[in-house]
Amino acid sequence: MKIWLALLALAAPAAAFAAENVTLSSEVFVERVKPGADGKPAVVREAPKIVTPGDKLVFELSYRNQGAQPATGFALTDPIPDSVAFAGSASPGATFSVDGGRTWGPLASLKVVKADGTSRPALPSDVTHVRWAFGQAIPAGASGKVSFRGVVK
Amino acid sequence: MTRNMRWLATGSVLAAAAFAASPAAAAGTAAGTSVTNNVTLDYKVGGVAQTAVAASDTFTVDRKVVMTVVSNDGTTISVSPGQVTAVTTFTVTNASNATLDFALSAAQLAGGTAAHGGTDNFNANNVRVFVDGNGNGTYESASDTATYMDQIIADDSRKVFVVVDIPLGRATGDVAGVKLTAVASEATAAGSLGATVTQTSGANTAGVDTVFAEPGSANGNVQYDGQEFAFDDYTVSAAALTVTKTSRVISDPVNSTTNPKMIPGAVVEYCIAVANAAGSATATNISVTDTLPAQTTYLSAFGIKVNGTVTGSTCNADGASGGSYASGVVSGALADITAGTTKTLVFRTTVN
Repeated sequence: MKIWLALLALAAPAAAFAAENVTLSSEVFVERVKPGADGKPAVVREAPKIVTPGDKLVFELSYRNQGAQPATGFALTDPIPDSVAFAGSASPGATFSVDGGRTWGPLASLKVVKADGTSRPALPSDVTHVRWAFGQAIPAGASGKVSFRGVVK
Repeated sequence: MTRNMRWLATGSVLAAAAFAASPAAAAGTAAGTSVTNNVTLDYKVGGVAQTAVAASDTFTVDRKVVMTVVSNDGTTISVSPGQVTAVTTFTVTNASNATLDFALSAAQLAGGTAAHGGTDNFNANNVRVFVDGNGNGTYESASDTATYMDQIIADDSRKVFVVVDIPLGRATGDVAGVKLTAVASEATAAGSLGATVTQTSGANTAGVDTVFAEPGSANGNVQYDGQEFAFDDYTVSAAALTVTKTSRVISDPVNSTTNPKMIPGAVVEYCIAVANAAGSATATNISVTDTLPAQTTYLSAFGIKVNGTVTGSTCNADGASGGSYASGVVSGALADITAGTTKTLVFRTTVN
């Protein structure tokens, strides 16, 4: 399968504000269990060439502040694709939304409203958005990664 | 809210949510679907909000070919010797994330243990496979004529009948095992069976690749070969009839009914007992005929009694009037004889 690794630097008009200060990339891997070098099963990460329902995915988001100044108010927002169920293991600091991004919080604090008006605790599969909001500034030149897991529906 | 109530309520909403969230069910996301993950990054430099940065990546969901074949008959199908159109029923489910055709074929076991524990010891005749056209689970020769499964969408299933004829002469307990195999085939065009699906070999291609993913199972199914099969069987339940003819002297012209002797003019009673062995199928449409010896004459005053009983090996000479006599031949029809029971036909003659 093709992988589009698109860095959408949207910001032609914003060039005056140092548009290339921060770069971001998103990559997805398929996790498979295969015999390792020692013959024992080992988990390997592969490019998403052959992907079928039920496959385990790892989404990895990489960022870099290549500007000359610290970046503050740093917030990464990732809506979960329709055909993927969130499967946990989000990097520390993540907050979640189960209602399309209207409300956010730790997963344990979220509720899903049922058809009859009552609510139940949210499950990982209910997650619609993951967000990492960094309280501290990202220094110039710093980079990092966050990741989460999903399963192809 | 009690714990139980909560659990029940949660279950129902989960189901509703699953339907709402994704049209694909067990088979999963449809093959060919592009899955794009979009990320946005908001940040500030020097306290001033900058234009958000976005990134995305996309992969395409490949075709995962999975199907199941199961027998619907919880027990062996009981058949009579000579029975035509004996039906075993299977369900073939397309658990793939794509629409497929399925080629169907039936084979017979060659000995060994059949699906329901018996030992396969004969082959049925005229083995055919038909798809249940109207989905009612009952074989109807007029409407159930398709011999392959056409355009089966993801998660859909069809009932499939294996139809055989049972040879005459088989005994109770004889077993014929059958095996239904479904082979994944391309759903190229409606109304015709497509080519057998082949797994994408070697390197990944730019299009939708095909991956065989059937689990295989303990009954000999091979994992990842694009086909699945299941077993069922027929067990013969025959009637095992034995006929016993007994006679006794009722009276003679000299001694009357006291120690009568077999002298000319004596009245002799014949009892024809038809017994069906225990464990057999019920015998129906039983007709008894008996040609009288030339030395005897049918006693029309007594007539013929049918459906009488025996006690041990003694004919009770009871029953209801019935049967007929013509030209030296006594004949009569008996009611159905269930396993382990006996019915009689009784008549009398005089010795010439």
